Amino acid sequence: MKKLVAVLLVLVMALSLTSVPAFAEAGSHKLTVWCWDPAFNIYAMQEAAKFYKEVDPAFELEVIETPWNDLQTKLTTAGMAGDYSTLPDIFLCQDNAFQKNVMAFPDMFTDLTASGIDFTQFGAAKTAYSVIDGKNYGVPFDNGAVIQAVRTDILEQAGYTVADLTDIDWNRYIEIGEDVLAKTGKPMLSSTAGEPDMVMIMLQSAGASLFDAEGKPAIAGNDVVKKAIELYATLVQKGILVEVTGWDGYIGTLVNGTVAGTINGCWIMASIQTAKDQAGKWAVTNMPKLPDVESATNYSNNGGSSWAVSANCKDTALAFDFLAKTYAGSVAFYEDILPSSGALATYLPAGQSDVYAAPQEFFGGDTVFAKITEFAGKIPSNYTGAYYYEARDAITVAITAIMAGGDADAALSEAQSTVEFAQGV
Amino acid sequence: MKRKLANVLVYVFLTVVALLSVFPLVWMAVSATNDSQTVLSGSLTPGRHLLDNYRNLLANQDVWKAMSNSLVYSLSQTLLALVICSFAGYGFEIFHTRNKDRLMSVLLLAMMVPLAATMVPLFQMMSKMGFLNTAAGFVLPSVSTPFLIMMFRQSARAFPHDIIEAARIDGLGEIRIFLRMFFPTMRSTYAAAMTITFMNAWNNYLWPKVIMQTNDAMTMPMLTANLMSGYVVDYGMLMVAVLLSTLPTVVIFFLLQKSFTEGIAGAVKG
Repeated sequence: MKKLVAVLLVLVMALSLTSVPAFAEAGSHKLTVWCWDPAFNIYAMQEAAKFYKEVDPAFELEVIETPWNDLQTKLTTAGMAGDYSTLPDIFLCQDNAFQKNVMAFPDMFTDLTASGIDFTQFGAAKTAYSVIDGKNYGVPFDNGAVIQAVRTDILEQAGYTVADLTDIDWNRYIEIGEDVLAKTGKPMLSSTAGEPDMVMIMLQSAGASLFDAEGKPAIAGNDVVKKAIELYATLVQKGILVEVTGWDGYIGTLVNGTVAGTINGCWIMASIQTAKDQAGKWAVTNMPKLPDVESATNYSNNGGSSWAVSANCKDTALAFDFLAKTYAGSVAFYEDILPSSGALATYLPAGQSDVYAAPQEFFGGDTVFAKITEFAGKIPSNYTGAYYYEARDAITVAITAIMAGGDADAALSEAQSTVEFAQGV
Repeated sequence: MKRKLANVLVYVFLTVVALLSVFPLVWMAVSATNDSQTVLSGSLTPGRHLLDNYRNLLANQDVWKAMSNSLVYSLSQTLLALVICSFAGYGFEIFHTRNKDRLMSVLLLAMMVPLAATMVPLFQMMSKMGFLNTAAGFVLPSVSTPFLIMMFRQSARAFPHDIIEAARIDGLGEIRIFLRMFFPTMRSTYAAAMTITFMNAWNNYLWPKVIMQTNDAMTMPMLTANLMSGYVVDYGMLMVAVLLSTLPTVVIFFLLQKSFTEGIAGAVKG
């Protein structure tokens, strides 16, 4: 028996002898980063490291690939356990989750306000995601400016051009959509069933939000929310928007040519471009605006993320300097990452660069990157609030109820109470 | 005649159900040979991109590191869990008293507590013990599971107690009774427990994603999740990773299939 216990103990001890990560200590020239997507964020980080090596030749950067959902679980677990020793020096945070994480675990983040990073060089709507109580907690990174990407060949069959879809409102869009559907048999749009992205895009395009400035839910009696959901329901009922199951189904409709276009964050271009056989058949323009809404614009935002410096960073001077000289200070860096990754900057000076003005053959030779940077500057900012995801879920339920013929006001009141319950109001 | 017709209906039904169960696996294997766009088009025709997908996967991810990590973690967990839980199950049945029965009920109640509820304190424990990013951190929280203890207890119930008495009279110690008599007769239970534990350990995602914080400690399910995290997902490459990730569990299951069914039946029969 003793032998067996000894063997087991030795086995456990042997198993534990694997490396434990060492995070940056002052003067170490090394930073550790958590982020996801090798072709996009990770690539950008590695390129940033190459740029920073010119400043500090001894600089080293270790990227630990961590999908967003895993990263959020790790942050929550570390936050609830009050043990920040496991966190990296820098991590990427989805913009919509930024407020909630800072409010839930304020001492997990390092205040970047006085870090020397010039936040005025980023789009105001983008920076707003990571500003809490007037303090900056994130360095804005990728652009979520909404684009309308359309198949010019399908539009042509129905007798339309991209110009017909530019600077229009949703009423006109529905007219064109019905016509395109009748003549080509193809819906204009697709979306994932049970995801309220389209409604949220419509909301922000009018600077509207599910929360007020104090962070209280503003869903019940919100005319813009009601109008957006009713528009969405109309699009589905008329067959102009087809709902599919899951993200893969959505991407499938784009690359298989079952729809005439899509409206989403500009990062969707990367997925569209995987359909090599459709090169030259796509064009990019702005989205339709909400009709009869005073604050309505043709510009919105969906997705995007920002870099945060964790409380576990021992060499904050190095982290600040690294971010200031790459993401918040180098046009050359953004020029370098754009062609391979399609990572569009929210760093405004980068928009003026020649690389951004280069025509893109896939999109009919249009200068899409410069166009999107211009869109990004016109996006109205809104309040994401700490309970953004709870509100999103509640709105999803309301959309389903309204589309099933339920009373819109009652469904929105129900959504309001759900979010209030989550907030403990 | 009626009987024949009934048989035909049963077989038709079973064939349909079998096809439905096998379809996702076939689709996975076929998709691994196609490029991303063909996968999205829902094609069921095998393509010629298997090697390209495999090469892309190797270029993007350290697959064999993740594979060997998963194997080391899962095998250690299986081995330790079988030893500990079979001792415990045997003990609960053979040396049972009223208090031990009560303790067993408490243990069974623990089955109702989901990992999400115990995750934060477990994480704190592992962090303080220095077990983050280690196999010990992966294995320790699952070496003793109420389900396995119950399974071995049920099997021990079918084990004739008189033989144990006879062995004791003949002077055999308790450990030897366990090792020489209980263990050889309960092979099918061990096989079933092994299959279940290995599959659970191999597919475990939530716990490793909390405690494994370096690229070197990554497991196969974590690697697969990485492949789905980008703006652009290469579905062909993803399917090769999923295929590779499925192989070890398939091998274990087929090797132990016969004993697995016997073991499960035995445990239920009690």
